Amino acid sequence: MADAKKPLSGIRILELGPYVALPMTGRILASMGAEVIKIETNQVLDEMNFIPAWSRGGGQPEFQRAKKRITIDVRTPGGLEVFKELVKVSDVFMTNFRRNILDRWGIDFPELRRLRQDIILMWQTGLGGIGPYYTYKSYGILVQHMGGVSMMSGEEGEPPATINSSYSDYHTGVFQPVAIMGALMRRRLTGQPATMESSIFKSGAITAGPAILDYQSNGRMPQRIGNRDPNAAPHGVYKCQGFDRWCAIAVRTSEHWAAFCRAIGSPDWCNEDSFSSLENRLANQERLDQLVEEWTAGLTAEDAMSKLQEVGVPASLVSQGQDLYESAHLKAREFYRPTPFYLADRGKPAWEWEGGDGIAAASPPKLSESPMEFGHYSNIGEDNDYVFKEILGMSDTEIQLLTENQSLY
Amino acid sequence: MPFEAPADGVLLPPYRVLDLTGPEGVFCGKLLADYGADVIKVEPPSGDPTRQKPPFIGDQPGPERSIDFLFYNTNKKSVTLDLESPQGQDLFKKLAASADVLVESFPVGYMKSLGLDFDSLRPGNPGLVMASITPFGQTGPWKDYQSSDLISLAASGFMQITGDPDGPPMRQGNEQSHFPGAQHAASAIMAALFYRDMQDGTGQYIDVSMQEAMITFYTDAHPTLAWMQRGENVTRVGATSTLVIPLGVYPSSDGWISAGIITPREWEALSQWMYEVTGNEEILNDDYKGGNQDRAPYNDLITAMVIDFTTRFTSEELFHQGQERNLVIIPVNSVSDLLSDPQLEASNFWFDLDHAEAGTLKYPLGVFDSEEVSPMTEPAPHLGQDNQAIFGGELGLSDSELSALRSQGTI
Repeated sequence: MADAKKPLSGIRILELGPYVALPMTGRILASMGAEVIKIETNQVLDEMNFIPAWSRGGGQPEFQRAKKRITIDVRTPGGLEVFKELVKVSDVFMTNFRRNILDRWGIDFPELRRLRQDIILMWQTGLGGIGPYYTYKSYGILVQHMGGVSMMSGEEGEPPATINSSYSDYHTGVFQPVAIMGALMRRRLTGQPATMESSIFKSGAITAGPAILDYQSNGRMPQRIGNRDPNAAPHGVYKCQGFDRWCAIAVRTSEHWAAFCRAIGSPDWCNEDSFSSLENRLANQERLDQLVEEWTAGLTAEDAMSKLQEVGVPASLVSQGQDLYESAHLKAREFYRPTPFYLADRGKPAWEWEGGDGIAAASPPKLSESPMEFGHYSNIGEDNDYVFKEILGMSDTEIQLLTENQSLY
Repeated sequence: MPFEAPADGVLLPPYRVLDLTGPEGVFCGKLLADYGADVIKVEPPSGDPTRQKPPFIGDQPGPERSIDFLFYNTNKKSVTLDLESPQGQDLFKKLAASADVLVESFPVGYMKSLGLDFDSLRPGNPGLVMASITPFGQTGPWKDYQSSDLISLAASGFMQITGDPDGPPMRQGNEQSHFPGAQHAASAIMAALFYRDMQDGTGQYIDVSMQEAMITFYTDAHPTLAWMQRGENVTRVGATSTLVIPLGVYPSSDGWISAGIITPREWEALSQWMYEVTGNEEILNDDYKGGNQDRAPYNDLITAMVIDFTTRFTSEELFHQGQERNLVIIPVNSVSDLLSDPQLEASNFWFDLDHAEAGTLKYPLGVFDSEEVSPMTEPAPHLGQDNQAIFGGELGLSDSELSALRSQGTI
């Protein structure tokens, strides 16, 4: 291939593991030009193939595109041998299985290091690969509540507010490329490989940092204060025309307040003493919020946003899927792109899955000289021939045998 | 700059990073600094505005006492420079000429108005990697829109799926928007340095939109796919999921736990345990068996039975006893729980940093644990503490030049 060089051209990364964080790391590194070989098996499919339930497989291009996808059942002796051959020719191995599972399969980090002395190992778990919980099973969507942030999210006196997603996974997923690229540079410069361990628990807890310091210094536990802010008012989301439509408004300075009052037509209440300063607006927030909502209620969320942004007041509609899909701004930035996907079906091997048309987000950073590649979306096992024949030099007979006995299935 | 090996036990080469960011991007430089980059925070002579942001250490205001500042600027150096004065711009160009990275989060066009945009700086340093982290990116119709943490959460749609279905979209309490854009920027900066130093490439410019970065932090909700394929908008589901049943946040006898049943075997284990504890045979009903979607018609009923069960235990009891039954039940921690958590303690997560005004505090620094590399352990810098070393020592300004710059208010 005579492609222009990419940041990670020539780097080969083996990825073994399902769900969100680890596949996202691999996807980012693949978009940077690494050859990321994703090891999967038709025997035990990643549950993410069935989430969302209404579009089985439709979510996977976000996590798996730009990778080479192969099938190896590492639980079989034949599969384990092929896996080890791949380790010998790879720069990085990353996995999110717990130690007890890896042990059961015969995947042992010191042995991998003997097979390939300078391999970089990225070991990610939910709760931690070492320490008292190292054998504990976990799921990212639950572990996110362990990091301290949920207890400070939501309305006062109500249960913690939860997001219908697995955001801590993404912290981990985007931390790990930094670690892996750093370790590759360090290996080049010092000859030393590294083993790094990360967890969704730690990644989430990092983001509670200021509250952790505040607690130590001032003994203050973070309170749930809904959408309010100690340094801004009005500050919140306000009901607009239509079902479940909201506009967020953040009046953070006296300039914002003056502009806000102008934008809403300078009603008399804007001049009341009770709203004359941030302190007064904070003290009278309940009434203030009602008055603001009287204004937004007559507008669409887009109109409320535009009227405020025109005069420099921070405001945004609370974006829904349709807004994002149709956003002129995101279109101008070519953020969402069409992609094929394969309709996941537990009853059939992946190569029999039907194709479909979906959509996926581009990688957010726009690099001027070495752009992030959107990449081809391979189906599970689509790159078997390339990897087994061209990289490992396996013969057709060998591959056929190992496929028939389900080692490479 | 030469491609220089990291010191023993350090992950990153000592790349020189000039950090001009506000809250939108400040975590990017922190992440690079914590793992060994030489990050210089370039502050206005009056100091980064975050130095004035409460809360403060001991609730006593002071430029070295802001808790946000202390957290977000660990392992950075500090110089002061008035970028709006010609002398300040001149000095900044000298700094940029030998820097590897410049990261900023000013409004779009501000750096250009100072003559310090990428096109102006590149001729003096073809290897320069410059990253801008802004609410909506450098291009597109929304590029000049005003923003804030709340606005980023709203514009990205992150809030749309946070909170209760009967209530408004909800903000996360940790100023969540400060992380995704900064993390993506750090990762892109590493890629750009890799390209420059490992592939014989050049420097380059990186544009990061916080809106886009935030959208990628709830990818698994698939808002646009849902609209494209079903004409539906994903929305809030509250404390209990409608996608996986049961899954959610439930009360325990002493706080909150989160639990979820992903596989049929997990349901078998949970329903048996619930029966043992509550004696309620209803939970063993055959209608409830199977995959997590099969229980969808009975969500309310099952949620009520789950709460009757969870409130009979403490969060810790459910966490550990759940694991014995191969069930994932996770305590919803407060920050005080984190500080005493044995797992975090065992995995090199906390580092004691001693700061002249803040004293010694435990900082969460260990994103990665490794026998070979560790995070750096310097506390956040005092305002302008490195002026002498950088401007005098490195750029070679004489004492009289420095005092002239000081009296002009440039540094």
